[in-house]
Amino acid sequence: MNTPITVPEDLWEGDGEGVITAWLVDDGSEVAQGDLVAEVMVEKAQYEIEAPVSGVLTIAKQEDEVVAKGTPIASLEA
Amino acid sequence: MASLFDVSSMTLSSMSLQHPTVEEGLVAEEALLDMVCQGEASLGWLAWSPRDRGLVMPRRHERLAGFPDARARLGQAGWPIRFRSTGGTPVPQSPAVVNLALAVRCRVGGSAAHLEWGYHRLGDPWCDWLGALGVTDADLGAAPGAYCDGRFNVRVSGRKLVGTAQRWRRVRGCRDMALLVHGAMQVDDTPEALVAVVNAFQAAIDDPQRFQAASHIALRDVLPELDVETAIPDLLERLVAEEGVAPV
Repeated sequence: MNTPITVPEDLWEGDGEGVITAWLVDDGSEVAQGDLVAEVMVEKAQYEIEAPVSGVLTIAKQEDEVVAKGTPIASLEA
Repeated sequence: MASLFDVSSMTLSSMSLQHPTVEEGLVAEEALLDMVCQGEASLGWLAWSPRDRGLVMPRRHERLAGFPDARARLGQAGWPIRFRSTGGTPVPQSPAVVNLALAVRCRVGGSAAHLEWGYHRLGDPWCDWLGALGVTDADLGAAPGAYCDGRFNVRVSGRKLVGTAQRWRRVRGCRDMALLVHGAMQVDDTPEALVAVVNAFQAAIDDPQRFQAASHIALRDVLPELDVETAIPDLLERLVAEEGVAPV
C-alpha cells in the first residue's frame, strides 16, 4: 500500500509557504511510523515532519523546494 | 513548572544567566525541547551567554557550494561555524550576546499552536522588560538590512536588538506540539563588529548580499549602566509568568 507524506495542515496558521530544509533519511530507506523524516522552515520556524506509517520512502520534493500545507512531499510503500 | 535538570555544565530552567560554550548552549536548548517532548514538563527555559565565539546557522547552509572554504576562513578568524536546530540564517555568538530559550507545550488547534503566537510568547514580555527599564520604543517587527531578519525581532527605535527563531516538534504519543522559541540579544560590542562577521561569511560563500550595522543596536547603546547579569532574572520571571501554556 502506498501512503503519501504531506505537509500537515495544522502545523502553522495562514497560507504561508515553507521550504524543505532537510530530508533526515535517504530516498529508498525503510522508516518506522513516527520517525522524523523531514524538516520544513516557515518564517525562521523549523517544523519536523514524521512518517505517518512504516514503509520504504520515495521522496517527491527535494531539499530547498517550496511547499504549501497539504503538499505531498514523499510516499511510503508498506 | 520544570524542575532543575542538569545538562552537561548547564542547568535547565534556572533563573540565572549561565556561561557555557556555544556548543554546550546549543546542546542544552535541544535538551530543553526534548524535556517538553518527553512530557517531563510543559514549560522550560534557559538564559545563557557563551564564553567563547562561533557563527551559528541551520545545518542546511552546509550544502552551499562555498561552505567548506567559508568554514575554514571563519575558523581561522576565530569564529568557528556551529549548527543550530532553529530556522533562519547565520548569527554570531560571543560573550557580547545573551540568549533566552523557552520550550512550551501547545495544543494543536488551540490559539497557542502557531508560530505567530510563539514569537509573541517570547517577544512581548521582552518588550515589557525593556519598557520597565525605561526603553519606551521597543516593539516586534522586521529590521531591513539586518542579518537573520524576520518579522518578529525585538526592535528598539526600529533597529534589531533581539533575533528570534523557533523549532516545533510533536510531543511523544499525542497530537500536542512542543515549541522551542529562542532569542539572541546583542548586549555588548558594536553592531559593526558582529555584522562584519556575518558579512565575512557572505563574502566567503560568494553571496553578494551584505548586512548593515545601522539596522542593529546593542543593549549597551540604550542602557549603558545596566548590569545584565542581575537584570536577566527579571526578564526570565516575566517570560515564565506569561499565560498560555497548555497543561500536561
